[in-house]
Amino acid sequence: MFESRPVHSAVNGTTAIPWRSSRRRLTLLEQLRGSQEAWCPAGPWDREGAHAAICGTPAGSFLVVRDSATSLPNVLCVSAGGGNETVDYNIKSTGTVFQLSESRLSFSDVTQLVLFYSLTRDVLAVCLYIPHWIYSVTEQTRDRLRQLEPNTWLCTPPDQQTDDMTQREPSNVMCSIQLTSTNGALCIINPLYLREHGDEWLTHRATAAPCATQPSAYRRERRLSTTRAWAGAGLQNKRALSMDQEPSAADLGTSGLIRAFSADSPHGPTSTPEAPAGVVLRRPSRDCSPPHRASSGSLTPSTPSTPGSSNRASLELTQHGSPVPQSPHRVSWIEDGVWLPPPRPSSLLHPPSLELDSLSISSIEEEQEYHVCSSTSLYPSAHRLADKVIHRLSAVGQALGGLVSQKKRLTNRVNELSERKGAAFAEAVKGFVEMTLKKGGDPGEVTGSEYLQEVRSSLSSLRETLLDYPEIQALLDSITDFNDSEIDSLVELSLHKVALKPVSAHLYCCINVARTNDGSFERLQSNLHVLEKNGAEELGGSSGVGVPDSVTLERIQQRWTSMHEAYSPNKKVHILLKVCKSIYHSMSANASSGKVFGADDFLPCLTWVLLRSDVVTLHVDTDYMMELLDPTQLQGEGGYYLTTLYASLYYISSFQPRLAARQLSVEAQNSLNQWHRRRTLHCNQSRRSENRRTIRRQTCRDKREQNSEKRKEEESEREGDSVNNESQQQTESTAEALQPLQEETSGERGAQDASQDASQDASQDASQDASQDASQVCTAASDCHQEDTTRSKQEGEDHTVL
Amino acid sequence: MSSRGSGGRSNGTLPQTKICQFKLVLLGDMAVGKSSLVLRFVKGQFDEFQETTIGAAFLAQSVCLDDTTVKFEIWDTAGQERYHSLAPMYYRGAQAAIVVFDITKPDTFERAKAWVKELQRQASPNIVIALAGNKADLSERRLVEYEEAQTYAEDTGLLFMETSAKTAMNVNELFLAIAKKMPKTDTQNPTHAARHRGVNLQDPDAHSSRACCGGN
Repeated sequence: MFESRPVHSAVNGTTAIPWRSSRRRLTLLEQLRGSQEAWCPAGPWDREGAHAAICGTPAGSFLVVRDSATSLPNVLCVSAGGGNETVDYNIKSTGTVFQLSESRLSFSDVTQLVLFYSLTRDVLAVCLYIPHWIYSVTEQTRDRLRQLEPNTWLCTPPDQQTDDMTQREPSNVMCSIQLTSTNGALCIINPLYLREHGDEWLTHRATAAPCATQPSAYRRERRLSTTRAWAGAGLQNKRALSMDQEPSAADLGTSGLIRAFSADSPHGPTSTPEAPAGVVLRRPSRDCSPPHRASSGSLTPSTPSTPGSSNRASLELTQHGSPVPQSPHRVSWIEDGVWLPPPRPSSLLHPPSLELDSLSISSIEEEQEYHVCSSTSLYPSAHRLADKVIHRLSAVGQALGGLVSQKKRLTNRVNELSERKGAAFAEAVKGFVEMTLKKGGDPGEVTGSEYLQEVRSSLSSLRETLLDYPEIQALLDSITDFNDSEIDSLVELSLHKVALKPVSAHLYCCINVARTNDGSFERLQSNLHVLEKNGAEELGGSSGVGVPDSVTLERIQQRWTSMHEAYSPNKKVHILLKVCKSIYHSMSANASSGKVFGADDFLPCLTWVLLRSDVVTLHVDTDYMMELLDPTQLQGEGGYYLTTLYASLYYISSFQPRLAARQLSVEAQNSLNQWHRRRTLHCNQSRRSENRRTIRRQTCRDKREQNSEKRKEEESEREGDSVNNESQQQTESTAEALQPLQEETSGERGAQDASQDASQDASQDASQDASQDASQVCTAASDCHQEDTTRSKQEGEDHTVL
Repeated sequence: MSSRGSGGRSNGTLPQTKICQFKLVLLGDMAVGKSSLVLRFVKGQFDEFQETTIGAAFLAQSVCLDDTTVKFEIWDTAGQERYHSLAPMYYRGAQAAIVVFDITKPDTFERAKAWVKELQRQASPNIVIALAGNKADLSERRLVEYEEAQTYAEDTGLLFMETSAKTAMNVNELFLAIAKKMPKTDTQNPTHAARHRGVNLQDPDAHSSRACCGGN
């Protein structure tokens, strides 16, 4: 296997070398052997003579000069192109092996060496250039090769060239290896494979593919049109695009083949064969970078991504008579000078988005980021490329590695349990939904946060009910890839789907009513007008800290929207973190490197963003998250940024320009202390219940590990620990937790009573009615117009979330 | 956020140790070097204990103490006076706090004292408070005398060290001193600790990674 280092140049990383023509013609190796006298002349030719002859020829033109004493080939003289520069490479011949002294690659004869270096440059500056006319040499004309002289070798007769082109282009079946160094990736090819196995297998596939018979001119033209559209076209259409991109069976064959070689090819022009010429937007290219191209043996000048230059490049290619691919696929095949149906990077490497992406929420978001990146940078960086590869690999890995399936299994099982008639969990869920929808509607009844608190404690007891099912325990125990907090999160998510989803719109509504009544929204909006003209520095940020530009701000707004659409508080926090991440990104965009931005700058910047966002909706979401998030999830990064969001909103709503800042704090602190107390109570509760679960799970583990005595000992020791901890915590929290515990049990009892009343057969109808009730309540309450749409969106979203 | 959490993984490399997780809040005037101090601590530690976070306002880092892994979740706060009223949201539930001042700016020391007072009044009763006189590398411009701060810290029962985020002076020492002072029995999350040990038992190779914390 040969390892090649492909041609590196600023723009053009592609080298395409005709490999050999059909069997009726000679192989390139044979042709080179035949013409060896021309490129490796004997006799009077010395280094100076070779230099003189090479002078002025295209880059890569070469002669091999023999040692005058041994008459073994000992110097490879290569034209560097341009002026009269020639680069010499010494050829070492040790025994039966030839090699360039700079390289470790050895060849059994000098022809093979030349052939190899015409394909891959390895240590050379450019690949060796082999005149095109050599391909037209057939058995019949073989003898003429022997008569060639070095000057003829170097200087292609014009008539012969034209002749060759007209002859070759439409009919010849020819195969090329293309190498590219785009993005600095290392390419590995094995020319020997081709030599051994020929290219018939390729031809077979090619004819199976629909495009193989199409005239190349058509293709080239279409390529141009796709190139033109690249400049800015429809990045937003991605989703629709990839749906369209179901590959045909034939395509799967070839692209599967190419996928084996190309680690990534996301920015290749995937000229979809079955697409009409005009359809450009369908190409799921995520990059605006220009296609890189080159022609055999010579490097094309830089090609900025303008349609004009693309045209130029293509014209140049035509002149060379070797239509060269635009796509920088690592290794690609040309058949009849025309690309085989190119790989479909987006449909294979990046799997049809709605299937895989939907399984991993983050990947959709991530894609959006790539869009923006690519629209700003013309040349893809290797770094971003690596990210993409990793991204894709992880997407695939997640799908294959069972993450998704386990997550899905849990969700499905929980869903199933919630619908199982007569099951305790199903009854509890039904009761919860009914109770939740019934309550909270009356403005006078309970205030928003108390109501949400009840909802949270009901959720916690629902979770306990759920975890009491042995089948759920077994399922959780079988999940080994996740850490515990991730498992907790999974359980929460599946619970949210059955319990929170039907009531989320109603909950929004209640928060809205409560916050309208307590005047928060009014204060928020009036202060918004006072503060909104402030820049980040006026809000306290250090000088030089950046704020999101309009594009980023737009994206943040989209994320806020999707945050509102999510019914799961966990999912909301997830989106919040993405927003925070892009704020950080903007903060440091123009800053000197090494500058650290902590909370001193983050809080002002977040406030700046909030002042340009729908603060009312954000406030609703913040309340929703703060009250409904599982207390254990309030720690860590999510908890931090949620706190910061809350703090920032609080800063805006309590801003009083004329008063000293300190005076605000009494009110603020009271409210916060209340909140803190509540949450701490629940947190203790939750921890306690988690202990219970742990012990249960621990027992399962014990069973599994009985064979190891040592382990068992430590296990019991550990169990002792955790029992101690539990009792300790219980004593700690007993006093505080007493009240909410009572609340919880009474709530639970109420829920069960209600569910018993309801007819079992009508359970589904009942919950539907209930949600309709909820909508009515919403309409009655002010400012609730969005809720219905939100809910319907959520139903759609549902497939994506879980 | 749990879905991002890699805590399980990093903790999981330590066998047979107690794992204690603590919330540590950073307080202090603007530009006294709160973030730099923490970043120096986090970056100076072994990567395997470091969790990737989206920004420097929240960082997580574990340190090893004998048989215990102490994991700090570090909550930075905005030091500006105008955001003072928001601080309680951050220090609620914190088991440790570092109050930072700049030894070249006396007013930041006064502000630090105010923070300490507030913490002692309002934060968790058992909170471990450390006072850090940062920018010790600028001692030629010193305006807060070491003795003054030292005396104050002794009187109020604080840990005190002069630090330099720039030269890393006393940075690790400060965090280790806090870690030592934390009540080890009160693990933040006993369930996690217990479960993680369960995982570790199946991974005897993990023993090798213990050596990492010897240097501190």
